[in-house]
Amino acid sequence: MNTKSKGRPMAQVIGYLMPVATGVGMILAWYGICFGLTPDQRFLLPPPHEVLRAFIDKGPALWDAALATGGGAIMGFVLAVALSFSIALFLSLSRLVRASFYPYLMILQMTPIIVIAPILILWVGPGLKSVTVITFLICFFPMVVNTTQGLISTDSNLVDLFRMCKATKRQEILFLRVPAAMPYFFTGLRIGATLAPIGAIVGDYIAGNSANGKGGLGFLTIIYSSQFQMGALFATAAVGCLLGFVFVVTVMALSWLALHKWHDSFSRSDT
Amino acid sequence: MTQEAQTAIVELKDVDKRYGDGPLILDKISFSAARGEFVTLIGPSGCGKSTILKLISGLNPITSGRIVVDGLEPSKAVEKLAFVFQEPTLLPWLDVIRNVEVPLRLHHTDPSTRSELAKRSLELVRLSDRAHYYPRQLSGGQKMRVSIARALSVSPRILLLDEPFGALDEMTRDHLNEELLAIRQQLAWTAFFVTHSVAEAVFLSSRILVLSANPGRLHSELRVDLPYPRTAETRESTEYQKLVAHVTHVLRSVENLKAT
Repeated sequence: MNTKSKGRPMAQVIGYLMPVATGVGMILAWYGICFGLTPDQRFLLPPPHEVLRAFIDKGPALWDAALATGGGAIMGFVLAVALSFSIALFLSLSRLVRASFYPYLMILQMTPIIVIAPILILWVGPGLKSVTVITFLICFFPMVVNTTQGLISTDSNLVDLFRMCKATKRQEILFLRVPAAMPYFFTGLRIGATLAPIGAIVGDYIAGNSANGKGGLGFLTIIYSSQFQMGALFATAAVGCLLGFVFVVTVMALSWLALHKWHDSFSRSDT
Repeated sequence: MTQEAQTAIVELKDVDKRYGDGPLILDKISFSAARGEFVTLIGPSGCGKSTILKLISGLNPITSGRIVVDGLEPSKAVEKLAFVFQEPTLLPWLDVIRNVEVPLRLHHTDPSTRSELAKRSLELVRLSDRAHYYPRQLSGGQKMRVSIARALSVSPRILLLDEPFGALDEMTRDHLNEELLAIRQQLAWTAFFVTHSVAEAVFLSSRILVLSANPGRLHSELRVDLPYPRTAETRESTEYQKLVAHVTHVLRSVENLKAT
């Protein structure tokens, strides 16, 4: 399946060059569009070097905002991991439990965050607390669903084996169901990791702490857009991208650490 | 009859089985096995041969009748039994030696005894050099051997094997059949074996029970009087080949029974 590219150095070099070439091509296309715009339209799309300058000029502000948003994202994400895992364990107990609680979890997922944001702000106060709760709400559901699915998908023969060995329910969950659910758990974690920074930025946009002027990326977005600072907005978007990237790569690394020894998704050679 | 009951390690008497309100799966199954016997259950699919193993193991309750395993009800005799499934059913996140240790761990055997028993078990299936491999690094035959080692780790008196070599190629299967008999020569458990392969059934068993399907009934019983130890040469003997032909013939008549 995986052709060994080692034998063909040319193919390997091309494999590395192509993504770079695509990137260069996109930047050139971007410049092309910028030059095609009439002078009064030009502010709509700043050329790449202006975005880069905004990135440097606003560096300290962007860095602080990224830290604030990152903090909220991490707290909401960790809260979602802990709660989703506990709730998944509970849901895995029986079909009846799932039937009783799943519909209400769905309702939680369907609730538009924008609408309940004012309620949340009144409940927990604006700023980091609200950002954390909103991040939690956004990435919680896919994690619960995946982990629950993993916990109930254990091979029935393995369950039989455990029952024949007179395993207690505790042993069955701890030594069988939880480890067997790990690949599913990490799938949920990866989905959550892409959602958490977005959740934190959205949370910051609608409930960020504007009182002391120290907000996150969402708050910066409000300021820059009110001043039509297009370059700075693009730079803010780029920082948001980077934050998401850091999240996803971290979770993928964790998942690799936990699973690479035994799970097929990380197998390189077909032994 | 009474004397046979005394030496019998497993006895089934008029055992019926149905799931819920479903159709009858097993209809008045009665047989017994003496200590050290190798009993194979063979028959068309749907004859309930795997179900019989599940009943003996206590995993499923019987609908009516009686099963006695070493003087006890099946659910109380689980410590004396070990089950080898159709699939290797290993825990993929544990290496080979830890997989073999699973039943011991669940039985709270102390760690030093545990690792000693697991090592010995792994030696029996000649996989000591793979102790720290993960299941996905093993071949199908090796995985099955680990599964057998795991079953043997608890020193069972009765081994239940549900078509364990069905998914393997013929060479590997023949080889594992020989190994299984060699191990039995040392440990002398009683075996209940389910298979679709007549050749395998004749090679392994001291007795073959032929079942018919819909519902599962005991059709006939055949003794295999080939002397143990049996080796690869046993397959070349004329008696062996005659027996294979005979069992094939019986099985075919059972299949026809089903068709009419």
